[in-house]
Amino acid sequence: MTLNRRQFLTGGLAVAATSMGLTACGGDGGGGGGGDGSADLQFAWWGNPVRNKNTADAIAAYTQANPKVKVSQQPGEFSTYWDKLATQTAGNKAPDIIQMDMAYISEYGKRKALLDLEKYGLDTSKFVEGSVDSGKIDGKLVGVNAGINTPTILANPKVFEKAKVELPDDTTWTWDQARELCAEITAKAGGGITGMGVFFNDAMISAWLRQNGKEIFSESGLGFEAGDVVAWFEMVAAYSQAKAIPSPSLYTEEVKKPLDQSALCVGKAAMQMQWSNQVEAASKAGGTEMTVLRFPSVSGKAADRKAWYKASMLWSASSRTKYPEEAVKMINWWVNSPECANINLAERGVPPNTEILAAIRSKLGPEQAKVAKFIEDIKPELADTPIAPPPGGGKINDTLVRYETDVLFGRTSPADAAAKFVDEAKANLK
Amino acid sequence: VSVISELSHIKVEHPKTDAQRRAQRKAAGRDNKAGYLFLLPWLVGLFVITIGPLIASLYLSFTEYSLIESPTWIGLDNYTRMIDDVRLHQALWVTFIYVVVSVPLQLALALAIAILLNQGMRGLALYRSVFYLPSMLGASVAIALLWTQMFGTDGLVNQVLRLFGVNATTGWVSSPDTALSTLILLHVWTFGSPMVIFLAGLRQIPQMYYEAAAVDGASRWRRFRQITLPLLSPIIFFNLVLQIIGSFQSFTQAHVVSNGTGAPSDSTLFYTLYLYIRGFGEFEMGYAAAMAWLLVIIVGAATALNFFAAKYWVFYDD
Repeated sequence: MTLNRRQFLTGGLAVAATSMGLTACGGDGGGGGGGDGSADLQFAWWGNPVRNKNTADAIAAYTQANPKVKVSQQPGEFSTYWDKLATQTAGNKAPDIIQMDMAYISEYGKRKALLDLEKYGLDTSKFVEGSVDSGKIDGKLVGVNAGINTPTILANPKVFEKAKVELPDDTTWTWDQARELCAEITAKAGGGITGMGVFFNDAMISAWLRQNGKEIFSESGLGFEAGDVVAWFEMVAAYSQAKAIPSPSLYTEEVKKPLDQSALCVGKAAMQMQWSNQVEAASKAGGTEMTVLRFPSVSGKAADRKAWYKASMLWSASSRTKYPEEAVKMINWWVNSPECANINLAERGVPPNTEILAAIRSKLGPEQAKVAKFIEDIKPELADTPIAPPPGGGKINDTLVRYETDVLFGRTSPADAAAKFVDEAKANLK
Repeated sequence: VSVISELSHIKVEHPKTDAQRRAQRKAAGRDNKAGYLFLLPWLVGLFVITIGPLIASLYLSFTEYSLIESPTWIGLDNYTRMIDDVRLHQALWVTFIYVVVSVPLQLALALAIAILLNQGMRGLALYRSVFYLPSMLGASVAIALLWTQMFGTDGLVNQVLRLFGVNATTGWVSSPDTALSTLILLHVWTFGSPMVIFLAGLRQIPQMYYEAAAVDGASRWRRFRQITLPLLSPIIFFNLVLQIIGSFQSFTQAHVVSNGTGAPSDSTLFYTLYLYIRGFGEFEMGYAAAMAWLLVIIVGAATALNFFAAKYWVFYDD
């Protein structure tokens, strides 16, 4: 008797408790209609304290100029932003204006969750070449570049001084020379300092593949085969053997650290892969002016390094918004008006609108000005803009790092890692 | 234990006439109504918050559902795909090891500390609270972060080891060989809630049994084996069932320690973490729902097995 009751209760408890994880979602409908020009817009972004303040200020400026528009702010933090957005979209409650990332744009765009911005009059005529196409999915502009980004190697000059090693010539260095330089720094600096911190991520394998005539993604799926990346995993192993990067377990920890705690910023590494819009934050956290370097090339010529501009983030609108005109009007103001640019400056990356950039140029701080110059300098080194990761491709960096970890700890050979990496990356694509 | 046995001794008067029988039935009905009234908050929660989503998740497990588009029916595809999903197998393996190793260790420690605290020492309330503290903190993000620091390559644990001349250059949470063991240790450390339940159980065992055994010259070990363990077995069983269910669903520690990826090398890829990665990271909510139901089946089977085995070792004193 008692046993049965307990059995029942515990069984029920097991079912209920297990299902808890999936019961936390929900939602309800939005507000009322809109006449001419009046709108109630939900505006979502992820950011940092500086960006949150800028964004709030810009929204205030916009609503003051457009009193019929009401904007509700949904600030967030990158790691939880995407769970929230997916859940909101599932509940038919997606924000009207969405700060989007390249890693997720096809996930949403291909599933028709995003508005065609050009159809509602978004103007990109002043945008610098190569900065618009990345927001196009199936021929429709579903995200507009909010700031130009490019992959760089940041160097901490203090660590170079400490190791008494000269900064490299970034227009000629190769991946092998970079390894030798890093090993030299590790040997000379002592105190657990290594030449390179986080390095082998999706951006770098993308660069390396492009230099070898491949792409990370192609229109039909993965842009490379296992045979193409065996040498990549061998390079990872070679860097580790030469002590050019931290020990396997330190490297594993390094990968998940936020920028301000990273080896580069705390002076434990001389260099680190970093996107250009992070230069200011890295310099601030490191207490020194970081030097921006080009990533290495296979041939030793900067002109062959197949650099590219990426949107640091994009502005999108929900395809189910009740106010498509008003949402696009606000995005248009955001990317094309000097008024908004004066508030945001280059915090989201260098503005792609060349006239806007010229207008705010004199107001940029030294770090942002340095990045703006770098972005212009590398123009001759640009190759085709890589396509956005297809659905299921947004998490390729996690997969890559996992197999690199296997190689670093000697659990898998580079050839096996390459084969498994390609299998899994292919299986993830939809 | 004794509350249950006390209750079982209350004899119900057998009704002798029809009138008596009616009166008794009426009283019982009133009792039932009151009972359901008290249960109401829980029942509302069950039907509104739990059952609905439960059925929805069962339906979703037979669909392809990206969260962004509406679900489309694909029958058993999600379940058949599990057969070839290497990471799912890894997640099952990691979770299985975690449950099988950490639950017995944690319960043994909880029992040992409970027995120690039951020796009639002074300041019991204080010690009980101190030992209970980790349980309140253990599943929290803060403690998981703290452990990540302590068991990192240059963390406190390795620094202490180095003081003793050990060449500790590998982080405990950042090496695939030791990361899971570190999480198991963290789980064992949160032994507080089973300990408190054990302590309550120990206090229910009538002292006279021990006195009688002592008079007969039984050793401490013998008293433990022959009196404490059998009389405590329903409590052990209760803790065992709850801890197994809870451990199968561990999530926070692995999520924090691995930054939500199961790193290094999927060595901390708990089942629920993988479910979360699939559902929210890779937009495969249908597959994630199917995974949730597989977990329901696994936990249900483990619990059923527990109840079956209980017949052979759990002793009810009534």
